[in-house]
Amino acid sequence: MQGLLFLSPYTLARGGELSTLTDLSFANRGRGEPLLAARGVTKRFPGVLALDRVDLDVEEGEIHAVLGQNGAGKTTLMNILFGLLQPDEGQLYVRGQRVHFRSPHDALAMGISMVHQTRKLVPAHTVLENILLGHPGTRGFLNLRAIRREVEELCSRYGFTVDLGAKVWQLSEGEKQWVEILKALYGGAKVLILDEPTSVLTPPEVKTLMASLQALVQDQGVTVILVTHKLPIVTAISHTVTVLRSGTVVARLRNSEATEQVLVQHMIGQDIALSMADLPVEKGRPLLRVEGLSAYNDKGVLSLRGVSFSLREGEILGIAGVTGNGQEELAQVLAGLRPPASGKVLFDGRDVTWLPPLDRWRRGIGYVPAERYEVASVAALTLVENTALNFHFDPLFSRRGLFNHPGLEQVTRHILLSYKVKAPHPYAQARHLSGGNLQKLILGRVLSRKPRLLIAHLPTQGLDVEATAFLRGKLLEAKAEGAAVLLISEDLDEILSLSDWVAPIYEGRFAAILPREEADAETVGAMMAGLYRKEARVP
Amino acid sequence: MWELLVRSLEASTIFLLAALGELLDQRSGVLNVGLEGLMLFGGTLAFIAAQTTGSYALGFLAGLAIGGLLGLAHGFFSITLRGDQVVSGMGLWILSFGLTTYIGNPYTGPLGMPRIPSILGLSPFVYLAFVLVAAAWLLLFRTGLGLAIRSVGENPAAAEASGINVALTRYLCVTLGGMLAGLSGATYTLSYNPVWNYNFLMGWGFVSLALVFFSMWNPWILFAGALIFGVMWQLSLSPELLLPGILSRYVWRAVPFATTIVILGLISTPWFRTRWGLAKPEALGQPYAKE
Amino acid sequence: MRIGRYELTLQPRPERPGVHSALTAIPAILLALALSSLLFLPADTGFLSAYRAVFSYAFANPHGLQATLYRAIFLWLCTFAFLVPLRAGLWNIGLPGQVYAGALAAFAVPYALRVNELPAPPLPAGLVILLMVLGATIAGAALAGLAGVLRAKLHVNEILVTMMLNSILFWLVAYMIKEGGPFMSLTGEGESFNLPPPLYAPLLRDVPFTALLALAAAGLLDFLFAKTTLGYRIRVFGLNPAAARYAGINPVALSLLVFLLGGAFAGLAGYHYFAAVPGVYKIPGNYGYYGDLAFYGIICALIARGSAVGSVPIALLFAGLSLGARFAQGQFHLPFGVDYALLGLLMMAFVASHFLYQFRVVWRAVAVEAVPHVPTRIPER
Repeated sequence: MQGLLFLSPYTLARGGELSTLTDLSFANRGRGEPLLAARGVTKRFPGVLALDRVDLDVEEGEIHAVLGQNGAGKTTLMNILFGLLQPDEGQLYVRGQRVHFRSPHDALAMGISMVHQTRKLVPAHTVLENILLGHPGTRGFLNLRAIRREVEELCSRYGFTVDLGAKVWQLSEGEKQWVEILKALYGGAKVLILDEPTSVLTPPEVKTLMASLQALVQDQGVTVILVTHKLPIVTAISHTVTVLRSGTVVARLRNSEATEQVLVQHMIGQDIALSMADLPVEKGRPLLRVEGLSAYNDKGVLSLRGVSFSLREGEILGIAGVTGNGQEELAQVLAGLRPPASGKVLFDGRDVTWLPPLDRWRRGIGYVPAERYEVASVAALTLVENTALNFHFDPLFSRRGLFNHPGLEQVTRHILLSYKVKAPHPYAQARHLSGGNLQKLILGRVLSRKPRLLIAHLPTQGLDVEATAFLRGKLLEAKAEGAAVLLISEDLDEILSLSDWVAPIYEGRFAAILPREEADAETVGAMMAGLYRKEARVP
Repeated sequence: MWELLVRSLEASTIFLLAALGELLDQRSGVLNVGLEGLMLFGGTLAFIAAQTTGSYALGFLAGLAIGGLLGLAHGFFSITLRGDQVVSGMGLWILSFGLTTYIGNPYTGPLGMPRIPSILGLSPFVYLAFVLVAAAWLLLFRTGLGLAIRSVGENPAAAEASGINVALTRYLCVTLGGMLAGLSGATYTLSYNPVWNYNFLMGWGFVSLALVFFSMWNPWILFAGALIFGVMWQLSLSPELLLPGILSRYVWRAVPFATTIVILGLISTPWFRTRWGLAKPEALGQPYAKE
Repeated sequence: MRIGRYELTLQPRPERPGVHSALTAIPAILLALALSSLLFLPADTGFLSAYRAVFSYAFANPHGLQATLYRAIFLWLCTFAFLVPLRAGLWNIGLPGQVYAGALAAFAVPYALRVNELPAPPLPAGLVILLMVLGATIAGAALAGLAGVLRAKLHVNEILVTMMLNSILFWLVAYMIKEGGPFMSLTGEGESFNLPPPLYAPLLRDVPFTALLALAAAGLLDFLFAKTTLGYRIRVFGLNPAAARYAGINPVALSLLVFLLGGAFAGLAGYHYFAAVPGVYKIPGNYGYYGDLAFYGIICALIARGSAVGSVPIALLFAGLSLGARFAQGQFHLPFGVDYALLGLLMMAFVASHFLYQFRVVWRAVAVEAVPHVPTRIPER
């Protein structure tokens, strides 16, 4: 694979370890005015108050963490700081002077740069082209050779090497993130905003990133604003923490005052038990058997490379991996939405490898896709019609070609009730549902068919704590009723709290298939990063 | 034989100018299926302007202007209103088709002006087209603006986050593209075949649209494709130049269209598709909304 | 757009209840009518009376009304031909080509049976007519089906394919009826042979039976979309093809099906105009005019927002309007092509109302900033 990334010996010599806060001295810490400040920032979206009079102070030369749950408003605040959004009320200040960012252009001109949660790179272009994009010095004709030299020098200064001619889509997620950071630095960024930078990184990559950020701040004088919901990172490297909850600032702490307990309480506001009770279940007979399954992804690359496992009724297999390691293709092949390149899938003894999706649904396979808006629902249709996505082929609901509206309405009402979906009525359009409620509806309608095999791909992604806990409970219920569940997730907590077996996936292969007792976060995390693999045992 | 080649080159110029405009559009992510409409309008207004004022310059200017204006309108519907680009394009085509039939009818017939002098036996527009192809390539691949255009077409969110004004870039491309389409129509009615008749293009616009797809959005491949199509088109118009007597001339007229379908099918087969699919601007046809 | 301390922006309308959707057809039609009145400006007698003449000819004059009905039937069928694929998110702009295919197939039946050479038809007239109808329907369906297959299996853009097929069929008809082609009439006038009287389509009160077919189809189509599983699947596919695949809907089968259905209607329209309308009964030399007329079907379907029953009055209106415009053109010495211009204006009216409806214009005061933006560079360390 092209685009390998190395750290210079300099940063490696620091051991790649995270220094404790007491060691850090803030060189050049400004006295008086903070470098970047926000006062009274308010932002409204239709139906929701995203930010409510938020104040923020970022000192020069520090790592400032902005902590909060999903939906707390962190990304919205950063988008305002970066000029992507306009606040409804409130002001921004740079070194005490009032500023108004009409677009990212203005923020970039001030030296503020942002690396977003989702990659804002052009996958089809090269690394160099992406770094150049929008850079003020590249208006007219491009002197590619000179620019290339400049960028290469920049890379060595900050200690990263990356193949400038590689196409971005070929890089790993961690490498792509480095490209975005490089791009910000090449643009002369003095303030670097990182929005959930670790969400797509493996634990070793996280360590590397943290160490590099510390180096950037201490040696190069860059200021970093780190947006995250992950506590260990905040406590490890930040100087100051601002905690957001539901759009308001609930705490602003120096690192010395910020322990994990305190932070959690501020973040959530209540104690929520994070571990799930283990419901004892009779292990049933083998239901699914997968042998040597391989598949190509949309770009024609073999992203799933020979996966084998088997699953019994009443078992949950948790496939833990960072997005892009073949899980999507695995889910799609099992659902019948993608043809395999090789291998076999046996369901209940029968070969279903090439069976079309409809026949799979009829046989009792249920699939909850990761893309809840693009694939799992139709925004313009009513909730009843969305439910019908999983029911339209059922003879009970489609008699002699006629659609059974009353029957479907009843099913929908039942789902809305038992899954606590907040919706005005069953004939509301799906587009009016929030993400969490939509996901509840989707999971509800798939589970209503009582599938014998459930493939759940990122079922709780982007949902708040309550919805997440609720849906995880439903998965356990399904397991208790004898379903076999294939859980594909990036969230280690989720995997570890629900699964009977854990299979970390890396570059299209299972590193191992571990029984729950042998799977701890360290090991699984390391396997997800490809650090080592055990002989995958097919139980 | 020489005459066939000359006419073919001139025919390919028509394809090339229109397709180049559409290529610019599509590189920025805007799909304009109403290309034929812009060509029709450009040609009609150019013809009328030239005939009434006796000036070729004014005629071409009129063609360029209406092309740019219609391109701007398409841009408004597609970019600002974020509407379905196919609906807007189809609307422009039917609008142009209908209105030009009405407006141009009194002018049916020959232009009646001295022909534009040729340079070295070829119409000057052939050279112009070549220069424009080179200019397009330079713009797209050797300037910062071109990089911005290509990025807007691939991933507008990334471009926006890099400080580029996506809407402005798209408006620029769609207007320039429209002007090129208008120029193409004007070249047809003022130089290639200076006779006005309703629906004089008879499908050239849609073939040019297909050409952009064939070209993998690369100006040089587009050039080659336009040349090939020019020959084929010219042959279909006057088959007796090469193959006298074989098949009715009506059947010959249908050949370029049939060939286009075959080629469209070929480039869609899986083998071709992976290579071609990677070249396609990823955001083509999708409205962009600033979050 | 900013003007001083206020700005004018377009805000998407948040709520769009279903009833509103149907009501948008009205402003579109009104706008269309208003725009088309511009066409009559050059009339000798002032455009209000010209407009009045248009409507009275189309709907009050018995001869004109009849012609309007014949045209309306043609437009209804063309509208359905575009409408069915539209509900599936596909664009069938191959209407003229499918109409031509239908016409050719319809005329191929009497040609094959050598009807003009024999004193009496070899088969009962009713059977021959049935064969003609079937042939036309199948030919249109097959042509559209080709585009559907290419789209479904190879993802070839159906707009391009159908446009190409339009041109191909256009020239094919020319070949068949001109310059010694097989269907050419014996008088050699560049048109097809005439249908013998026994093969004229049966009339109900001077209206061909195709009217019944068209009206029944309208009701059936709306029923299909509202109440049947197939209609549901088509709608899902049109709204979100990825979700449709997820739901187990077969994209290839569905694309093919809607194109076959659409093409069948267009083929039937071809049969209707050339073999069922009294006074025609042949493929005339200016057949291209009728092919172009088929494009009205696109506009009717779009304005009716995909509702078949809703498109019936709309197509009737436009049939009358285009016919009346033709009449007024002759009457008031207007330039040729008034009906073409009408086509163009209607499309413009539709597109404008369709898009502008989704937004509302908002005029609001912008928050005033006390301190103007002063760009400064943060000094190098």
